[in-house]
Amino acid sequence: MSYPFIKALVGVLATVGLYSVLYKENKFYRFFEHVFLGLATGWTIFVLWAEVLKPSWYEKMMGTPSVNGGPATDGQWAYILLLPLGLMAYFVFSKKHNWMSRIPIGIILGLWSGQQVQVWFNTYGPQIKGAMKPILPSAFSSFTVPANASAVDVYPSQALSNLLYIVTLLSVLSYFLFSFEVKNKAIIKFNMLGRYLLMIGFGAIFGSTVMTRFTLLIDRMYFIWIEFFQQQVLGRG
Amino acid sequence: MSIANKLQTLPKTAIYGILILCTSLPLFFQIPLPNNPDQASKDFFREMMTLDASKPVLLSSDWTNSTRGESKGQMKSVLRMFMRRGQKFVLYSTADPQAPQVALDVIAEVNRERIKKNQEPYKRFEDYVVLGFFPNAEAAINGLANDFKATVKGRKDFPVGKEATDVFQSPVLKDVDSIKDFQMVVVVTASKTSNFTVERVYGKTKLAFAVTGVMGPETKVYYQSKQLVGFVNGLKGAFDIEQLMEKGLNVDSSASFRDDTHPAPVEGFKGDDNVGQGTRYFPTLHFAMALMIIMVILGNVGMVLAKKDSSKKELGGR
Repeated sequence: MSYPFIKALVGVLATVGLYSVLYKENKFYRFFEHVFLGLATGWTIFVLWAEVLKPSWYEKMMGTPSVNGGPATDGQWAYILLLPLGLMAYFVFSKKHNWMSRIPIGIILGLWSGQQVQVWFNTYGPQIKGAMKPILPSAFSSFTVPANASAVDVYPSQALSNLLYIVTLLSVLSYFLFSFEVKNKAIIKFNMLGRYLLMIGFGAIFGSTVMTRFTLLIDRMYFIWIEFFQQQVLGRG
Repeated sequence: MSIANKLQTLPKTAIYGILILCTSLPLFFQIPLPNNPDQASKDFFREMMTLDASKPVLLSSDWTNSTRGESKGQMKSVLRMFMRRGQKFVLYSTADPQAPQVALDVIAEVNRERIKKNQEPYKRFEDYVVLGFFPNAEAAINGLANDFKATVKGRKDFPVGKEATDVFQSPVLKDVDSIKDFQMVVVVTASKTSNFTVERVYGKTKLAFAVTGVMGPETKVYYQSKQLVGFVNGLKGAFDIEQLMEKGLNVDSSASFRDDTHPAPVEGFKGDDNVGQGTRYFPTLHFAMALMIIMVILGNVGMVLAKKDSSKKELGGR
């Protein structure tokens, strides 16, 4: 048995083991669940040291020799001060000293809060600008947008789409007017429209989610039947 | 037991059995499907194929084998486009410690395709650099966006046949001081890193995403407000890109592969290895979706019949 065959066989056993929970909870499933968790944890610990703590903290503190003609670096002792600061976070488990964990958490929260104005504008600024759409047509030579259309012209089909967009936007926003009681019948109906449009949106999101889940199952079936059975066992392809 | 009850209590194991058949049998056949690529996929393809090969691209790979069905097809297409065009790229991950290794496995796979065709494999450190994993995605992306050099300082990669070397000695990073020196950031992701990238990087360089179907609706918002230059959505997106790589954009007379908003022709890689997960899985997905629709209809028919039965019984009782 070759190494690729053994590797694929273990993958097939793990896949079948994890899917066996669909029938009922069993030891085969439990075994592979623990193997998976153990592997993921071990890998994470290694990567956190090798790719994060070692280059970003330990080597900066201790210094590094010249490698492949690159510059050697001096160690900077001040990096040691990060260790007690980081360890303070673990005092969250101590009833007596948990106040110490608030120091690193406070620093992180302060840094994060200070950046949120820029983050908010980067995220929503272009979306607010993009929501300003013309709802009146300016070109009538064709109902739909012709191939050589100018970017400034608004054709009737575009205006209609934009109108639908604006109605959806405003009705959905009006649905979230919770600060005061809405008594106007027209606004109540407009709210209701927003609610139905939200439901349509959630339906579309649910549909996408289902498609993703099916794709993941199809991939596992491809692994079992084509990559293992056809390619490794039968030796085709 | 009445038909109404039977329809509403189909055994779970039987449904799973039928689902496994529906997701297995079509994989053994090549089922051609007509396709009309999404505008977002066309934009993604055009942007990728018109990149300046002399300037590097920052590639974020934030997926692992848990979303291999969708993300691997997208990643493979992105790498095929980069390698065939001689595009230098810098790889990093912020979502999961396993992500860099998973990305390296796909790079090795695409390199094996190149070796089979007697093409030069893409060389680590010379053609692409791996920065590795950065924990705390939000802080890491903020660092990369605001002070790329300081965030990456100390990171090492492995040139072929040599020991770990500082990444800034690589020719790929020789003209890079900040994120603005990358002509685009491409994010292949199955997690929130796409949101963090928009929050922190938008306005500094162009952004293009390849996301899972679950993330498609929220990502479309960024595309419509022009925060993204293009995006690939789930398995359909992977299928679109593979088809566009085969047929090109505005190249032949097919209306589906034309983009009137940008009429310049964009050649693909006709006759090359363009097939991937998208083309292989998309027909099978239709069988699974058909099964789900049939089950939903059967369940609803059962519910309506059960309601009728109970109202008849109520009337009979009176």
